[in-house]
Amino acid sequence: MLTIKNLAVSIEGEDKPVIKGFSLEVKPGEVHAIMGPNGSGKSTLSYVLAGRDGYEVTGGSITFEGEDLMEMEPEERAAAGIFLAMQYPVEIPGVANSYFLRQALNALKKARGEPEVSAADFMKKLKAKAEAIGIRPEFLKRDVNAGFSGGEKKRNEILQLAMLEPKLCILDETDSGLDIDALRTVSDGVNALRSPDRAMIVITHYQRLLDYIVPDHVHVMADGVIRKSGGKELALELEEQGYEGLLGEAA
Amino acid sequence: MTAIARKPSPRHTPPVPAFTDLFQATSGQLPGSGTAMLDEWRQRHFARFNATGVPTQRVEHWKYTNIAKVANVAMGLASRPDVKLEDVQRYFAGGPLARRLIFINGHLANELSHVGGLPDGVVIKSLDAMLREAPDRVLAALGDDRAIDASGPHSFADLNAAFLQSGAWIEVADGVTLERPIQLLFLTAGEASAVMTHPRIVVHLGDGARAHLIESHVGVRDGHCLTNLVADYAIGAEARLAHDRLQLGAAGTTFVGLNRIAIGEKGELKQTVATLGGDLVRNETDMHLNGSFIEAQLNGVYMPVAAEHVDNVIRVHHEKPDCHSDQFYKGLALDKAKAAFAGKIFVYQDAQRTNAFQQNSNMLLSDDAEIDSKPELEIYADDVKCSHGATCGELDPTALFYLRSRGLSKAEAESLLTYAFAAEVLERFTDPAVMKLAQERLVARTPGGANLTDML
Repeated sequence: MLTIKNLAVSIEGEDKPVIKGFSLEVKPGEVHAIMGPNGSGKSTLSYVLAGRDGYEVTGGSITFEGEDLMEMEPEERAAAGIFLAMQYPVEIPGVANSYFLRQALNALKKARGEPEVSAADFMKKLKAKAEAIGIRPEFLKRDVNAGFSGGEKKRNEILQLAMLEPKLCILDETDSGLDIDALRTVSDGVNALRSPDRAMIVITHYQRLLDYIVPDHVHVMADGVIRKSGGKELALELEEQGYEGLLGEAA
Repeated sequence: MTAIARKPSPRHTPPVPAFTDLFQATSGQLPGSGTAMLDEWRQRHFARFNATGVPTQRVEHWKYTNIAKVANVAMGLASRPDVKLEDVQRYFAGGPLARRLIFINGHLANELSHVGGLPDGVVIKSLDAMLREAPDRVLAALGDDRAIDASGPHSFADLNAAFLQSGAWIEVADGVTLERPIQLLFLTAGEASAVMTHPRIVVHLGDGARAHLIESHVGVRDGHCLTNLVADYAIGAEARLAHDRLQLGAAGTTFVGLNRIAIGEKGELKQTVATLGGDLVRNETDMHLNGSFIEAQLNGVYMPVAAEHVDNVIRVHHEKPDCHSDQFYKGLALDKAKAAFAGKIFVYQDAQRTNAFQQNSNMLLSDDAEIDSKPELEIYADDVKCSHGATCGELDPTALFYLRSRGLSKAEAESLLTYAFAAEVLERFTDPAVMKLAQERLVARTPGGANLTDML
């Protein structure tokens, strides 16, 4: 589904590379966890996949279902089925949450040549999904993320994920700012979306999230590259030894 | 009439002679004419207007607007064209039970108005009726149009007094809560030749009184018309006023408005203003917090398009300790439009523990648009929390990316964020119908707004 080969990325306007020859193959149905210390390039990777401005790809390639991702605008990537649940979801005062989600869903459907959903069908689905993720109905009427707590913002990202049903979900530090109960409901929401056609990349600092969203593959990233890959047990090893211990050097 | 021979300063330009001709031609025909005290009052104000002249941009609070260009020209008094109920109904706000006075080019449209069934202690009347029935009370309330600052008499307040035709007189007695909103709907039908109208609003809320006032200015026909409004709000101790003001002026029209607000101890005001139409709109507010523990919230949004011009001037006077005032103004300018925001907070020496805030955020949506923002603080007390901030920027790239990453096209994301920037203020309207009317106009003014109509 997603093939990243020897990817090299710099911050625009700076010479310093942040990602230095990163390769990853993600197949449908798989859940990959990417762990790593601060500054290892995890978040940069997620932004590059989603198509955010401000990064310069200086080498390598990213293909998504055979298409060159680097040639696509962020909305084209969304239409192709990529979704990034952001570490810091943006507040948009003045736009109601439910309206925004319906616009987004219909924009995706339009781009895919599918019929738009009716307002009634949309609201029915939205209410059901919100309830499952533990989002109270009044949050749907409130402005997008405006005045939401950290945990509420993360739940709202998962609600968007559940409504937009992408093929590839990238979760960037979805666990940060969540207490243990919120972590559980958010993880349940994510797990409900696991399917043989859908892949996930879960980016996190801590092993804790992976107790709930159990990955098929774990990659440890440091200094812009994958330093070690393994199964779910690698996360536990990392928890015990720390990045320094596992990678055998100051990470 | 008396003429005062005084050479106008360069800060003012002498009024064109047509004002004097018109004043003489209409004397005896304005509401209440023939009442000696009222005639004398009009003459006194007209003489002062003539002596002062029309402000130029050298007067500090007229810095951003060349008002003489449109207001110091020969104008007649606007006549009352016919307007049908079905053409204005869509601007009704305040719900089915709202009491409503409707004015067309400054003339009361009695047949369209409805202010019946008032509870004890409440008076809602057209000002022309009050001028005929109780001119002494009107004059006592209006006083001498006190000067607002050191720049001298207020020319437009004086001109308004000279030609005062109609408007609204609202009194709510001590302790009375008026549940149903009052809407003052001012319709302007522009004319082929230059005309003007001089309405006034007088609101008196007694101690502990509560009311919700909706003030709508709607252009129903393009063309010339200068509306020169003066509004006086006296909000008693522990009284509470919600004030929604919607300005949907038509092309060719000019609006010059002066709000004078005085609030007593523990009084509350929540005012929200949306300026979304009219060639030139000038909103001036002078608010005095005369007691302690007053809460005053001033919200506003302006979005001029084409060659429109909007000028906001706000002065907040914290005279006593422990008050809280908050100004939240946002502006967008498109095309060749211009807008200005000049807000000043005065904290008097007595006014310890004042909390006074002012935020003015602006967005320029065209290279040819211009917005001037001038926040000012003048503080004479030492234990205060005051802040002001002005920004002028473009759409937030992070928010744009966020929306696009969810599937919206760049153009759709830009439209939505532009709308959202202004809509945040509209959410502060007390009346949902006013909010909806403002949202509709905002969508119509937002580039690519056609995609947003199903939001409403």
